Amino acid sequence: MKIHVNEQVLELAENTNIEQLLVHLDKPLIGSAVAVNQDIISRSHWADTILNEGDNISLFQAIAGG
Amino acid sequence: MLNDDELLRYSRHLLLEDVGETGQQALKNAKVLIIGMGGLGSPASLYLAAAGVGHIVLNDFDHIEVSNLQRQISYQSDDIGEAKVEVAKRKLQQINPEIKVRSINKAMPEMQLTMELTMADLVLDCTDNMASRQLINKACVDAKVPLIVGAAIRFEGQLMFFDHSETDSPCYHCLFPSSEEQTLNCSNSGIIGPVVGTIGTLQALEAIKYFVGLPSGIKNKLKLFDGKSLDWQTFTINKDPKCTVCGQH
Repeated sequence: MKIHVNEQVLELAENTNIEQLLVHLDKPLIGSAVAVNQDIISRSHWADTILNEGDNISLFQAIAGG
Repeated sequence: MLNDDELLRYSRHLLLEDVGETGQQALKNAKVLIIGMGGLGSPASLYLAAAGVGHIVLNDFDHIEVSNLQRQISYQSDDIGEAKVEVAKRKLQQINPEIKVRSINKAMPEMQLTMELTMADLVLDCTDNMASRQLINKACVDAKVPLIVGAAIRFEGQLMFFDHSETDSPCYHCLFPSSEEQTLNCSNSGIIGPVVGTIGTLQALEAIKYFVGLPSGIKNKLKLFDGKSLDWQTFTINKDPKCTVCGQH
């Protein structure tokens, strides 16, 4: 199925969850935040949130500087 | 009641229906704690002092270095070596002698932070590290004090507002549960002055709106700022029921 990750199209297997997506993209699990269709999904729900065709995923890191 | 000087000083507020004398009085009565007086805290504190926030408490343990001057606009060259909060306090009082400014020139231990929160209506997180942010978040959740969080690096900024006086508010930890320090910080990654300045300025704007009674458009949202495109992204922050900080609140 096709999803968008940070506005880039990605081909992904059905029934992939967020945690699996991050591993697939080689993104760090610590310090990352994930939003699906502008809604941030808490870390505790990454393993049980399944992605769907057409989902817009935004991945970003915590910024601590100031 | 505003005196004649205040009526003149804040005339541009008084002309706004959304502020008026009532709003200005609310600003006068407001007590804001600004933690971190670097790139975020500088513009935030300058604008809040100018706006007439009646009680501003500045907290930082740092001294001014030459590399700060590129973006920490409260400071100038002949301030190098001085404590940030002392210089900033002087500057804010010069901008606005009507307000009260207090400085805390140390890294506050948890107990002192808790005590300070009993005297604050609002906190601005203007710090530069994750450990401080987690500490401030927990203290504000426990004390039920609203928190405006700003952060910036390179050309990017993040801005959030959590009203911890409301039950069921999410918190910073719901979004970023790790206390692990980010490998990217301003001294190894760089930052553009106006980017951190934009975020700090918006922290002040959100604070003013809070006190005059305007609803926040960013409550429980993460605003991401891209200083290259000038695009903003908005994401909804949901309360994590398993959050170890606010999950039980």
